[in-house]
Amino acid sequence: MPHDPMSTEPMHRLIRLKRYEKPPEGYYEDFLREFHQRQRAELLKPSLSALIMERISGLMNEIRVPMAAYAGVTALAVVAGIAIMRQNPNPAGSPAVFAASYSQNPVTIGKMQPVSLRVDVPGQNNSPTRFLPPSFLLQARPASHESPLSF
Amino acid sequence: MTTEPDPTTINDQELVARTQGGDPTAFDALVVRYSPRLYGLIYHMTSNHEDTNDLLQDVFAKAYRSICNFRGKSSFYTWMHSIAVNMTINFLKKRNRRQHPSLNDPDSNIENDPDFIAATSNSDPTKEVSAHELQKKLNAAMQKLSHEHRAVVTMFDIQGIPHAEIAGIQGISEGTVRSRLFYAHRQLQNYLHEFKKP
Repeated sequence: MPHDPMSTEPMHRLIRLKRYEKPPEGYYEDFLREFHQRQRAELLKPSLSALIMERISGLMNEIRVPMAAYAGVTALAVVAGIAIMRQNPNPAGSPAVFAASYSQNPVTIGKMQPVSLRVDVPGQNNSPTRFLPPSFLLQARPASHESPLSF
Repeated sequence: MTTEPDPTTINDQELVARTQGGDPTAFDALVVRYSPRLYGLIYHMTSNHEDTNDLLQDVFAKAYRSICNFRGKSSFYTWMHSIAVNMTINFLKKRNRRQHPSLNDPDSNIENDPDFIAATSNSDPTKEVSAHELQKKLNAAMQKLSHEHRAVVTMFDIQGIPHAEIAGIQGISEGTVRSRLFYAHRQLQNYLHEFKKP
């Protein structure tokens, strides 16, 4: 029979010889014994979930004191706030009311009063200033004269 | 009077059901049944007896832990082999180049195998190859294959598992199994050209 160079059968038969490599005598009996030992050892070992729970509970114990401190500080702040409110019963004075009134009446450009200019000319009317030289009076201060930091 | 049947005579399905029902001796019977096959599978992929022992322990431990999730969609045989192949490939990826072969001695019956005689006989008797030499060369050639190719060669050539079952174990098509085998054999031919074709 001619040999097919593409055939992988010869390689298959050569590699198959590896099946003669076997573990030492009695290995499989020992293997089962070792398997039982490992199983027992695993039973004694705590599981991952048990370890995680243990860590979490430990952590909670550690942070219990700071948590109580935070709760105490919060309670004190609430009591102090109530005491201050009782001392100052005027609701308008409270920041919340002030903020509400401020927001209800916003300052708009439409409500701003325009700057008017009055010119008094002597001799035109019977005003007490008719004998005085003409003067220019600003009825209001223009916005440009206001200090940017004035409140 | 009824006697308990010998667990070695009970089929896999029944043993799995008993294990799922809480009978640990049923799983022992599965360990006894499957350890030689899975040992061979892992050993020929790792070329290391100690690694094989550790991995095989881990494989059975994992199977025992997950047996409640085994619904019988595939055979237990396929399921166990899948666990073994996947765990071995993962192990080999981690081991990478850190390879220390620890080979088992070949059975003395190898010397009577016609394929061995044909492969090692030489016209010059001083150049005859011993079983150990052949073993070393075969292992060295196997280790040059990729993990996936080595798995297919191990299952098909050494363990005699059919293509369809290998496909089921590895979750690949039969065509892929055949092409991997063909490619692996071509590579092995290059590494082992000094041996006569049996």
